[in-house]
Amino acid sequence: MSRPLVLLAAALFALLGLAPLALMAARVTPEDLSALFTSDAAPLLGRTALYGLGVAALALLLGVPFGFLTARTDMPLASVLRPLGVVPLFLPPMMLAMVWTAVAEMRGAPAAYFVSALSTFPLVAVFAARAFERIDARLEDAARLAGGTRAVLRATLPLALPPALCGACLAFVFTINDFSVPDYVSWLGLPKFSVYADSIYATWRIDARAGRAVAMALPLIALTLLTLVPALALRRRGALASVVPDFRSSAPIALGPWRWPAFVFCAGLLAVGAFVPLGRLLWEAGGGHKGWSSSELATAFSLALERSRGDVRNSVVSALATASACVVLGLVLGHALERSRRARALEPWLVLPLAVPAVLFGIGIVVLWNREATAALYDSDALVSVLLTGRFVVFAALISSGAVAALDPSLEDAARMAGVGPLQRLARIVAPALRSSLAGGFVLVFVLSLRELDATLFVPAANHTAMFRIFNQIHFGRDAFVAALALLLVFLIVLPGLLWSLFARKRLELLP
Amino acid sequence: MSAVSLDAVTVRIGSRTLLDALTLEVAEREHLLVVGPSGSGKTTLLRTIAGLASPNAGAVSLFGTKASDGARVLVPAERRRIGFLFQNGALWPHMSAARQIEFVLEHAGVSARERARRASELLEWVELRGFEQRLPATLSGGEAQRVALARALAVEPKLLLLDEPLGPLDCELRSALLAKLGELQQRLGLTVVHVTHAPDEARAIATRTLRLRAGRIEDER
Repeated sequence: MSRPLVLLAAALFALLGLAPLALMAARVTPEDLSALFTSDAAPLLGRTALYGLGVAALALLLGVPFGFLTARTDMPLASVLRPLGVVPLFLPPMMLAMVWTAVAEMRGAPAAYFVSALSTFPLVAVFAARAFERIDARLEDAARLAGGTRAVLRATLPLALPPALCGACLAFVFTINDFSVPDYVSWLGLPKFSVYADSIYATWRIDARAGRAVAMALPLIALTLLTLVPALALRRRGALASVVPDFRSSAPIALGPWRWPAFVFCAGLLAVGAFVPLGRLLWEAGGGHKGWSSSELATAFSLALERSRGDVRNSVVSALATASACVVLGLVLGHALERSRRARALEPWLVLPLAVPAVLFGIGIVVLWNREATAALYDSDALVSVLLTGRFVVFAALISSGAVAALDPSLEDAARMAGVGPLQRLARIVAPALRSSLAGGFVLVFVLSLRELDATLFVPAANHTAMFRIFNQIHFGRDAFVAALALLLVFLIVLPGLLWSLFARKRLELLP
Repeated sequence: MSAVSLDAVTVRIGSRTLLDALTLEVAEREHLLVVGPSGSGKTTLLRTIAGLASPNAGAVSLFGTKASDGARVLVPAERRRIGFLFQNGALWPHMSAARQIEFVLEHAGVSARERARRASELLEWVELRGFEQRLPATLSGGEAQRVALARALAVEPKLLLLDEPLGPLDCELRSALLAKLGELQQRLGLTVVHVTHAPDEARAIATRTLRLRAGRIEDER
């Protein structure tokens, strides 16, 4: 890969992802840091860490069996349930909170744990499923000869666990940095459930001092980095590290009489995580308690389109622009991460924007771009894509680097010997071979961009998105309009993945 | 008494017939070479004998005991006490060389102390003393295959199934492993069914050669 191209990509990433953080860090004063020790940060951090651990443990408990059953067994409809398993991850967590607090009258900490576990178990499930299906049939056969099914499980579980733990680490990071779910379940009434991200939000709201907000966020950033480092190390361990050139896939494990109970478990989990929330929103959009009718439903949808057309358009345009930018930047960075030893040093920096609470990253964007010289950009909708690209490019880069790792380097060497330049090699040799991973990166960033709320809260240009409109509207009461807008957003979120599933022959690669 | 007896065994996957009413007897202490083109059913034959593949029809007997009758499994794979040397070794990547062997012995109900003793004895026999704690990723192709052979012998099988065990090795290592196999058969009186792509090399230690094509015996000498 040409060095200027990598340097250009790294510089662009530094501007979009690191500069907002560097500017924020520069504003921290000793007084800000000392305030950290006098505040009630320690107990709040402890509660947040416990919350993250609890959710990660629940995600493991639900995600590992879901991944195993859908990827490796003869459970009925396993091939249908497996792709549907990512839907709860794609739904904005606040939307799940809206529905389950209404359906089950849950409040406070139990509601936050329940909703966050539902929202993050697919992270574990997708990692576990891929790990289980990548265990060579002969490894299982050797274990089966040694001691039947018990030996198979004992020999293969340790191979699937490291990637599953990587998913659990990501669930932990997503949970401790999420502001929307604890905020919503607390806003509904007692008992309140305050977490650390709340206090960062509150600190900025009270006096708008960047240094104070950064100082407040430091313990959470440290906790996130401490989790992301092992997650990165675990992502290609175990089964994902043991793929051999003459790999043989295993036949599905026969569950016998456990086929239908397994189906009930997986389908039930999806019902709770996706179908009930969507059904409830459909019911609310059609009139809810006042009586459901299709005409009410049609009215709610036309109202949602009429009132929020601009917000929806802004959301889609910025998500498309972000996903496109991330895929291109991610391909260059991801390829460099895998093929160049020096570029590997970039990896910890790449995850930094994700390690910072989204609320704080948003504040950093305000601090960086809210100045006279960049007023045109700051006031334009393009700032939303600038914000989201800086934060999410890490996903596209890691997915690309994972795919490059599996690509035979001699393909590129052959092109090089034929005189093909570095940019051409990337575009005409590497990119076509990585298309399902590039599409996976595009879809993942598109989805994350559409459902992002926390990072956009303080950025004026980002206040005209569908997600922000829903957030504002629910604080003024839940009605058919909110439900219809939420459903519209969900439809847009799942659309690219749905189109890929319908028309592409290869599976979408969503994992780093 | 035959060590292995297949009576009109048929194995199908979907519309593909992998073994077609195959009948075969392998005498005790025999070293049977099985050759044939790719897709001829060689590996399926080994997997059927081991109990890893289920026949659709026919019976499999091992040392006079019926192990499967049609699709019905009478003796599951883990109770057949067969040693199986897989192509590429199939070593569990997260277990050390000694642990590979101990794991098998643990499932055979052997005590912890005895497991450690037997693992070190077997590794010594395959000339890998000092490799006990090495992970598969740190072993060469020949070393990995010898660990796999030691693991296959851990349960002291009377029947050893070899699925192209020389495939990934260079000439020198092939000769060394073949010599080891010959010595092993002499010493333990094993019955061996040996699938290979290189029959010339293994013919010296084989007692009979069988050529398969499309799931049937094409030639036998």
